[in-house]
Amino acid sequence: MTVHDKRLARSHDDILEAIAAALDIPPGKFEEAKQRYEALGGWLDRPESTLADLDPAISPHGSFLLGTVTRPLTDADEYDVDLVCRVNGSKAALTQKQLKDAVGYEVALYARARDMAQPEERRRCWTLNYAEGAQFHMDVLPALPDAQRYQAQLRAKGFGILAADGDLSGHAIAITDNQRRDYALISDDWLQSNPYGYAAWFRGRMRVRLTEAKRSFAARERITASVDEIPDYKVRTPLQQAIQLLKRHRDCMFADDGEHKPISIIITTLAAHAYNEESSLSAALQTILTNMHLHILERDGIAWVVNPVNPVENFADKWPEQPRKRDNFFHWLAQARQDFAKYLRASPYDTIPAELEQRLGRRLVKRAVNSVMPGDGAIGAPALLLGSGHDDELERARHAVDAIQSSGSQSRPWVR
Amino acid sequence: MLTLFEVQSAIAFEQPGLRATEIDGTIVVEGTLVVTDGSAVCDPAGPLARYTVRVELSQAYPRVEPRVFETGGRIARDPDHHINVDGDCCVTVWENWLATAKDTSLAGYLAGPLREYFLGQFWFEKTGSWPFGERAHGMAGMEDAYADALGIPNRRKDILYYLRLLRQPWPKGHWPCPCGSGQRLRVCHRAELWSLHRRISPHLARAMLVRLQPSKSEWFKEGF
Repeated sequence: MTVHDKRLARSHDDILEAIAAALDIPPGKFEEAKQRYEALGGWLDRPESTLADLDPAISPHGSFLLGTVTRPLTDADEYDVDLVCRVNGSKAALTQKQLKDAVGYEVALYARARDMAQPEERRRCWTLNYAEGAQFHMDVLPALPDAQRYQAQLRAKGFGILAADGDLSGHAIAITDNQRRDYALISDDWLQSNPYGYAAWFRGRMRVRLTEAKRSFAARERITASVDEIPDYKVRTPLQQAIQLLKRHRDCMFADDGEHKPISIIITTLAAHAYNEESSLSAALQTILTNMHLHILERDGIAWVVNPVNPVENFADKWPEQPRKRDNFFHWLAQARQDFAKYLRASPYDTIPAELEQRLGRRLVKRAVNSVMPGDGAIGAPALLLGSGHDDELERARHAVDAIQSSGSQSRPWVR
Repeated sequence: MLTLFEVQSAIAFEQPGLRATEIDGTIVVEGTLVVTDGSAVCDPAGPLARYTVRVELSQAYPRVEPRVFETGGRIARDPDHHINVDGDCCVTVWENWLATAKDTSLAGYLAGPLREYFLGQFWFEKTGSWPFGERAHGMAGMEDAYADALGIPNRRKDILYYLRLLRQPWPKGHWPCPCGSGQRLRVCHRAELWSLHRRISPHLARAMLVRLQPSKSEWFKEGF
């Protein structure tokens, strides 16, 4: 079932998909955010902009780009829209400070023209806060294209195949950092980032299901466009939905310890590694929760969650100095396994265990469930839908027995 | 060597109602075991049945058979229910499973004999019959299971001889063929025996022999 279908839930997948849809950013909110960052992009690129000669371009990265955005925990919290402001400048002509200030100047002008609060400077980005009703803020990351240096470094470290892949390494950027000593100096040694390479890798981990989801979307919406013309953000794959559920579970579990909670990039990377193009959300969750820890490597006694597009970067680099972060990750994983397994393996689809409900947010779960199971009458649906009582149980058992008999693996009890 | 971590990983998603701990070198798995109807990941109507169990696993698994106890009292404690008075479940003839299963990992055991045993109990509860049949009690059932594993008719003498051959790392070609033709193995069923030897290792054959408790006269009959 997809969020667009109005039929009632009949399975665990239907319920989990409804919860994932409720967790997703509402389409109206997404469009609003998109319009606003496009407006900002238009402002930066207007003829009188001080950046106009450098062809500034704004585009999302992070969960907005990956399609794994989750609703903030409370209505008071905001969506964090991560944007890259990429300008066609050169590190030979610009210092990090000059780039940061130039972008900040234009963002400030934009804010003034829109009667908004002035942007706040962060270590690497500018934060633009919108009015309360908007319920989001934008982190604008000033950047320069830096693929050549990025690829050269990959080659030097023995990752020639990655360096030769334009999708994975051809869009790397150099970013500013106001804590660095060379911040105000001309230098070639800027921090690097590769959010578009990561997104390409992430997309590659769900290529089959992404195409399938777009095809279903086109059929459902009676769109004649080719699959390639449908933007990624219009659909969600089981991997994206699973990550949304897991991030929400993490958010609720660490509501009081945000500083030490498992970070999204670790959850996303490990989940994408473990995912094997499962076609259903329940199967994706099973695979991910069973196997994601297997993708944590150990190098010289240190846990590594490798950045797939920059293998010398460890997403878990904080774990050695802050073991609580590592402990919290494994604690969270064990709890998530337990909570989702209790629902999927040990409960009927219409009975969400209290622990899972609590760790996904009671209100959100109730709202999502009610959207696919309206009214109290439907709560008893399994019995109504699948038959009831003794005969139904026996019928199900018969299927199980037949399946075992046809598989040839059956053991017979005896007495010692 | 089976570790607590492996056990915890095997049950983590499959059996969320079970908990594993290590007590004096034995890994004890306790809690609620769910019997599913075999749907891919989840049964829309939930599990078919739940049993409260305690499973004792040796670190030497699968060399050492797990001991399974039904502790909730759902199953009547008598031999006809394939359970002893202390709740000790006679899940299957262990060596028969080891000799015939493709996957003898703990996950394979949970999804195989253990699930089949409790699904069988549920079926018996509902219908009074065993869905996959049952073995005779005691030694007779064991011989029956071993004969099945060897793929030969159930004759104790033949089972013992086969196992005596198979327990050797290298069964000799001049020994009498176990088919009873009177010919030497090398000119008779040598290929078949070697194929069996790959499936039933000398270690497993020795364990089967020990459990059959051959008498002295049986031991030396049909010498090589």
